[in-house]
Amino acid sequence: MPGAGGGTGVRVTRAADGTVQIAVPAAPGPAFVRAVLDVAGAVLTWPVLGTAALPAAEVHDPGRAQQWLWAVYGERTAAAVHALAAVPPGVSVDVAPPESPESETALAGYAARLALGHWAARWWPASYTDGIPALEPDLLGMELAALTHRCQQLFDDPEDQPDGDPAELLETHQAALDSLVRWWQAARESASGPVRQLDGVLRLIDDAADCAGVAGDAVRRLRSALETGAPYDPRGSHELRTPLGLGSLFARSGGYALAAGERLVPGGRVIARGSGTNDWRRYPPGFVDPSESAVSWTVSAVGAGRVIEVEAVADVAAPVGGVRLAAEVRVEGGPPTLVSLARRGDVWAGRADLDVPASLPPRTRVEVGVLLPGFDPDPDPELDPEADTEPGPGPGTDGADGRADRDAVRALARHRLAAAALPEPQGTYPQPFPAPFLAEIVAAATADAGEDF
Amino acid sequence: MVIDRAWRGLGARSGLESLSGPGGAPLTRTVKLIVLPLIIRPALRPELAADFLGAGETAQLDSLMRESGALLHATAQWFTVLKKTRRALGITAGNPQDLYFQRCFELATEHGPPAASAGADTVARSVVEDIADAGGGRTVEALKEYLDDADRRTRLDARLAAAWDTRWAVPNADAGESAFHLAAEVLDAVARPGSGTDVGTDAGSSACSAMLAAGHGSRLGQAVRTGTDGVWGRADLPAHLGLSAHPVPNRPEVGHGASTATLPAPFDRTLFERLFTVLQASAHREELPAVPELVRREVGRSCAPLGLYDESLRVAVVLGGRLAVGLDPLGLDQRGHHPLGPGETEPGRTAAHRIVNSRWQREASVLRARRMTVSSRPDPDGGQLSALAQDLRTPWVAYMRRLWVRLHGRDVRDAALPDAASAWTVLDGVARSVMMDHRARVRTALRALSTSTATARVAAAHEPRSA
Repeated sequence: MPGAGGGTGVRVTRAADGTVQIAVPAAPGPAFVRAVLDVAGAVLTWPVLGTAALPAAEVHDPGRAQQWLWAVYGERTAAAVHALAAVPPGVSVDVAPPESPESETALAGYAARLALGHWAARWWPASYTDGIPALEPDLLGMELAALTHRCQQLFDDPEDQPDGDPAELLETHQAALDSLVRWWQAARESASGPVRQLDGVLRLIDDAADCAGVAGDAVRRLRSALETGAPYDPRGSHELRTPLGLGSLFARSGGYALAAGERLVPGGRVIARGSGTNDWRRYPPGFVDPSESAVSWTVSAVGAGRVIEVEAVADVAAPVGGVRLAAEVRVEGGPPTLVSLARRGDVWAGRADLDVPASLPPRTRVEVGVLLPGFDPDPDPELDPEADTEPGPGPGTDGADGRADRDAVRALARHRLAAAALPEPQGTYPQPFPAPFLAEIVAAATADAGEDF
Repeated sequence: MVIDRAWRGLGARSGLESLSGPGGAPLTRTVKLIVLPLIIRPALRPELAADFLGAGETAQLDSLMRESGALLHATAQWFTVLKKTRRALGITAGNPQDLYFQRCFELATEHGPPAASAGADTVARSVVEDIADAGGGRTVEALKEYLDDADRRTRLDARLAAAWDTRWAVPNADAGESAFHLAAEVLDAVARPGSGTDVGTDAGSSACSAMLAAGHGSRLGQAVRTGTDGVWGRADLPAHLGLSAHPVPNRPEVGHGASTATLPAPFDRTLFERLFTVLQASAHREELPAVPELVRREVGRSCAPLGLYDESLRVAVVLGGRLAVGLDPLGLDQRGHHPLGPGETEPGRTAAHRIVNSRWQREASVLRARRMTVSSRPDPDGGQLSALAQDLRTPWVAYMRRLWVRLHGRDVRDAALPDAASAWTVLDGVARSVMMDHRARVRTALRALSTSTATARVAAAHEPRSA
């Protein structure tokens, strides 16, 4: 595992709140560049954009954490955590880089992969506008179930660690199981595709289901397929050698033609227009297309009044009924005007009266951000400890709008998809860049197969 | 780690797969349920109880493991047989590791490896069936049947009325303030970083004993019954801290139905609802008394101070309340917003508050990374999410409900809390559970928002249960 910990070792600190922190040099960043995992007695954090193979850890229960500390960080770090747990806060020690690669580094690698997979389920920037395909949630979920089982040493109580329960992932995502089995059978027959990875995932799923007592028809079919090795649907299998076959196997949310909604206010004289900020932190996954250009606004003069219209391109999977988003509009940093946005075709759209002069001066600063009411988080104290002594503007309007980080995440997604499109995407898990997930391989293959099927 | 190495030493010959994880390490539950309690037995061998062992202890542990090698192999085989039997019988409830591991070890000790000639299948079948109805009729269905009898319900109702009117002999009820300070003393002592066996714990224990001796738990019960205000250092909080929807709780009814989705506040629950939650929690069911006895005792318990018999558990309610009124999940205090409003003095924070509140701070950061936030700024359009944020502004309600249910479960099983340290373990565990409850609710709320879609997927599990 070249470069694990960068050869710089780790610093272990007894913090003021009584936790023991293991810090691997890591750059801070907005929430969407952090991959987190709740494990026995600790929270692990990896920087998604960084190169650190080892996570940072906040250990709140050093006793329980001993079951995995040695296997992730090595014996010396485990001993340091044990020693620091008994001293007053404020003490730290530096531990030399982990010992030579042994079985322990395997756990660190799988844990990083598991955390990255959870991150992808939350923050993958699938965008019609940007041409970044979505990851099929059930397929990703099944691979995460397998990885969770592979990392079972990290967990000791599913009540405490929702990330540590393969059974729940299996039950939630078992819709993908039959398709996975068919893919595996076809890939084995044709000796193409990520056979080893599929094989590994399916065997782990079978073992996890057995361990946790998960039953069900799909699990039974998986078991018999693994036992006999015989395809249960020989006729269908040849199609799967083509990306088109993969696309039909993992049905995606179908056609999506970007069509602007009808203008809400016909007429009126447009006096200003622009694009808004698309801060991913202000709405849940799958609501707004994460493209930088997804949010746009127009100010028109209608009679004696001014009206602002806001549109946000909807995510392919966005809910259609009931839910409303909101746009927060500020002119020259003034108090916010809220515009309620409803789903209309492929956009979220809404309008509101705006209290601005009839002739808006050319360089007037109009800031528009979209959010889900009630979800919009407070500014992140880790980024800006001084912020928010007053209930102030949301994170989208504080200047540091995170665009550079969002671009970096898009670049990461494109990079990973390119790697997933290579003919032999399987293999070992090269650090610090975990190999493609099956869902990424399918996404890359079906995107390449053309946008026109 | 030592266990892991010793395990791999045994596993070189393989045959331990059913007790091992995919990487060859023992399953977490193998260590927790078999290796530690049944082989290493640190209670008998305190030298092996430490997290880090010296060379001598390592060798000792290693040889213990090696001696048990054959036993573990037999255990693994029994586990495979029991799992197969379970599947054949179509039993799906519960986690097979939790249910069978220790029994497999017993079977291995008694019979050695399972042998078809010795009727292993029959043994396996009877064990699996035995475990499947280990509850021994202590089920919600049995309770429902018992309470369906109209005459019996009338009699129980009369007994409830009589028990409710019995006056408690409560020592000098007007002592809220000293309880408030003693509780803070306990909380500060037990939760100090590094407090193991030192002075801090002693101070906590003596304050705790003082509370017990002075009957501060019963006194709180009295304050709840009389609707005394100001118990918690704030005029606006009722003595029961949201354990009832009423200013003063009413007498419990008998009841004959319950649903986890609509359970009222604990003090407003019927006899049926109180026992329903106990029987729902499948753990320790075999320790419970039989249903008629369970009901008989709940009549008295539900009319006792705080709905609990044991004074140490009642004192735990006082300690929990003291902790709960200082909880600050939104970090409002840290950011200069006094949760109690300007001008009011906030209840002095203790070491316990610092631990729990800093855990909430970490949780907030984790929830951001998980894209599961709720806005702490009130938003009229926020729907369910805003309701969850509102709950975080009154954290004592969720905390006290969780705590009471746990203490009630202990009371039913006669499991008192002997000292300050064991009380803190419960209080701390409840604090974590409340945090995880919040996370689960946010998740459910977000799923509900996302599932009004064309690609709607079925939300998993967490179905409310009812009877």
